[in-house]
Amino acid sequence: MDFYFGLLQIIGVHTLLGLSAYVVLLTGQVSLAQAGFMAIGAYVAAMLTVLAKWWIFPALLAGGAVAGVVACAVGFPALRVRGLMLVVATLAFGEAVRLFFFNFDYQIAMGGIKVGPLGGEGFRQIRYFPENGYTTFHVMVFIWLVVAAVMTALWWMDRSRAGAVLRAVGEDEMAAQSAGVNLTAVKVTAMTVGGCIAGLAGGLYAHYTTHIEQGNFNVLVATFAIAYPILGGLSNVFGTLAAVVFIQAFLVEGLRFLGDWRNLLFGLLIVVSMNVRPGGLIDARNWTQLRALIGSIRKGETRARLEVASGGIMSAVQRLIQRWRGAFGA
Amino acid sequence: MSHARVCAFSAAIALAAWTMPGSAIAQERQVKITGFGALSGVVRSFGVNSKAALEAAADQINKSGGVTLGDGAKGKIVIDYHDDRCNAEEGISVLRRVASSESLVAVAPTCSNVAEPMFGIMQKKFGDAGDTGLQFPVFTDVAIKIGLAKISEWAFRNVPNETEMYGTLFRWIKETKPDLKTLYGGVEEDFAHSRASWYAVMKEVAGKEGLQVLGESKWLLNDTNFSNQAREAKKASPDIMAIAAHPFTTCGMLKEMARQGVRPKLLIGLTSSSSMETLQGCAGEAETIIIPTSFAPINADAQAAAAAVSKYNGSLDLHSGAAWENVFILKRVIEAEKVMAKPDTLQADREKIRAGLAKLAETDGLLGKTKRTPDREAVKPYLFVHAKSGKWEVLHTPSL
Amino acid sequence: MLDLLQSLADGLLFGAIYSLIGLGFTLVFGVMHKINMAYAAASLAGAYAGLTLIKLAGLPAWAVIPAACAAGALFGVIIYGVCFKLIPLSHPLATLMSTVGMLLLIDEIVVHATDGMPVNYPTFVHGMVGYGDFMLRGDLMFVFFVALVVMAGLIYLLFNTRLGLATRAVSQHPVAARLCGISLDHVNAVTFTLSGGLGGIAGALIGSAVGMLSPLLVAPLTVKGLIVTVIGGLGSIPGAIVAGLLVGAAENLFQFFRGVTERDIYVMLLLFVFLVFRPGGMFGTDPARS
Repeated sequence: MDFYFGLLQIIGVHTLLGLSAYVVLLTGQVSLAQAGFMAIGAYVAAMLTVLAKWWIFPALLAGGAVAGVVACAVGFPALRVRGLMLVVATLAFGEAVRLFFFNFDYQIAMGGIKVGPLGGEGFRQIRYFPENGYTTFHVMVFIWLVVAAVMTALWWMDRSRAGAVLRAVGEDEMAAQSAGVNLTAVKVTAMTVGGCIAGLAGGLYAHYTTHIEQGNFNVLVATFAIAYPILGGLSNVFGTLAAVVFIQAFLVEGLRFLGDWRNLLFGLLIVVSMNVRPGGLIDARNWTQLRALIGSIRKGETRARLEVASGGIMSAVQRLIQRWRGAFGA
Repeated sequence: MSHARVCAFSAAIALAAWTMPGSAIAQERQVKITGFGALSGVVRSFGVNSKAALEAAADQINKSGGVTLGDGAKGKIVIDYHDDRCNAEEGISVLRRVASSESLVAVAPTCSNVAEPMFGIMQKKFGDAGDTGLQFPVFTDVAIKIGLAKISEWAFRNVPNETEMYGTLFRWIKETKPDLKTLYGGVEEDFAHSRASWYAVMKEVAGKEGLQVLGESKWLLNDTNFSNQAREAKKASPDIMAIAAHPFTTCGMLKEMARQGVRPKLLIGLTSSSSMETLQGCAGEAETIIIPTSFAPINADAQAAAAAVSKYNGSLDLHSGAAWENVFILKRVIEAEKVMAKPDTLQADREKIRAGLAKLAETDGLLGKTKRTPDREAVKPYLFVHAKSGKWEVLHTPSL
Repeated sequence: MLDLLQSLADGLLFGAIYSLIGLGFTLVFGVMHKINMAYAAASLAGAYAGLTLIKLAGLPAWAVIPAACAAGALFGVIIYGVCFKLIPLSHPLATLMSTVGMLLLIDEIVVHATDGMPVNYPTFVHGMVGYGDFMLRGDLMFVFFVALVVMAGLIYLLFNTRLGLATRAVSQHPVAARLCGISLDHVNAVTFTLSGGLGGIAGALIGSAVGMLSPLLVAPLTVKGLIVTVIGGLGSIPGAIVAGLLVGAAENLFQFFRGVTERDIYVMLLLFVFLVFRPGGMFGTDPARS
């Protein structure tokens, strides 16, 4: 069971990372800086629990807050750049943060040994959880409480006007501006919220791996951060969760029996899924279908709906074949 | 209707395809030893070789009767090997998976950046009821960054002691070449092992042996432009140059030094660079580089072991040699501690193995006896090799 | 003072490598307004493939450049087919993600094929050109020369041929171009073939300059290549060349002044400075004006 709790922990933290990019993606900005904010949250939270002996919860919140402040500072210059230049700019920022921690030393002597981050060596012995009686199960529950809180907040935001405003900015900035939306406020807020969530993810990451270093927050992590929401679909938060489960549970752990072919499948499956489902695993149409399905289960029309759904799969395959024929025939 | 059935059926198959960790119904008693390390990515040769060494060693033991268990029965060693992709989170996940299986001990990991977090989630002090860390013995073969085993009392390592090796090396240099007085370093700053090896080992030890350390040039592990660094080395014009880096950047630096005409009187390299990679990359420029290592096929045992491992598609070198040795050491411990290898004695067996490993003062190695230290590290016999005409040749055997 | 000049010169010459990678990125962006994240990986894969080809066929060392060019062009077409052609235009994020997937796939194929170990690459130009203590690397000067030739060739192609005309038309206004009878698909495929071939040459030159090829090179080349493309202006060919040299020189100078651990922080800051004061890049159009 310990293994499954550990896996759920990983899924939880990666979901938070994905959600931090999701919020920013809703406004049409692709941010490769989430790994940088994660790093900030990780180091701040870890320093607070190890060096200042804080309780875990305020330390996590502080990590998220600092990451959010930095994200806010990044959000303003990000307004000047758009599209692919923003991708590169945020990538560069994320790398700059990582390199900052590569050079960051802050050690104090505690109980005869020096503790704290030491540049390239990293920050070791972040043992708040094991030392305070948190078993793997407790940590998993803790992480998922945070994830549930964030997902609920984002879900509620999506159903409110704020969500509509975010998506409006993402769809068409000019139209949104004409409707009276303050673009600056919306985009910077999205960036800040994304930074906070990434900071929370980082704080949790630091505590459940007990050792962090600059290499843990590199370009690959930043890429996975945007991969989750894009692969999962931007229509709602469950898409990101589905993508994280798909990658971490199915691809990484479930396909272990494939040996070293597993890594090859990674890239291949991403390419294939983007071709087969460009809108994400759970795109907008699926969502309405799913809601209709749930509604119909309540009304006892399940069998009919399942037939419709599986018929949908068949017609999707037919459409794909048609598209391929069209693409290579013309 | 059939659509739905097909869907449900395939969903069931997919769920079942999730490999449940462990739980094999053993007809004969099995001693499960699990290894894990990097089987993919740039450092995959470490995992591939370790896996081959573990399997070859287990095969040899099984062919000669297996392991004698606590109640006199014979048990077969079964090796499982997992890929952690040199990633901390995945390494931890694999360790938890292994701990939830019927495995008795893990020989892992290959990457130092996985070892540190992994040891961190383990119980720090044995028997500490207030510590919820994982209670599973790990006997490391490859991860070599200095000072990791002291993180947890469940962590043991059979890796070369670099302080000892480089200390002897510098002492030997002082004796045989007393005219060499100055040392300059080249260090890979963003790789845990190389960085620690220069600052915490080579620099310290050289100072103690009376060599004057002039400084160091730094670079990153995927750098390709060494013009600044080579020029700094040229300015320092040291007698001895020590390069604490892995083959890719070691070769890059050596090539640049050759281009700029930087010719120190003696070249020293990092333990991990005494491999085919370095010679493949820059045999010419690396000529005469001296590296201390804990393995070379210089005796019958070592040669037989090397032959056995190559049958399993791996090669025996200083890293996988430790994996080979670990299986035999574990056999000894299992027999001495009377491990039962029964499903209901799982945790007791693991504790016995931990206690047995902790008790060891000395173990058998391929090159001779290995001392074990109180902080669960090893002091392995070692020798110095140097690159000569595209091959590694033994230069000096100090402790044999 | 001499050291400073030497660092500057070394960096400028090394920047030629970044220029070549930046050229490929900017070419694809200029025509399709999309980024091919797998470009650096495909270039290196082309270089590896070229090396394998000449070893199998027993060709002389210099043949690795055309071999890598051909291999790179092939990979370029494959990437176009798999990552761009089949994905509907209404999902721009999907193409970005699929090129990322392609990057991971190519990287892993190379690691599998070479067991993760660096591979020796033939060097063509040896020796240094020098004046006293000041020296310039012969092979880097060769790379610089090739970059200039390639830029000249590309500019000729774009402005003096029908294909170039079609490419510029598609880049400016795809719909109008189609109305004029230009096949979008054809132009895109040719662009990818061209940039792929260029990438193969770049990969082979990088291999010969460094002396070895390793999968470790994929990540830094991708990041630096993207930075160079943005600083030079997305879609601008002379921009990519100049920016590549600038980044190479700046990188070496930062390293000279502040050491290797802080070097890349300053390169990122350089990028931010450009983005703040010239968001379109050096030679690109200011997006606020378009």
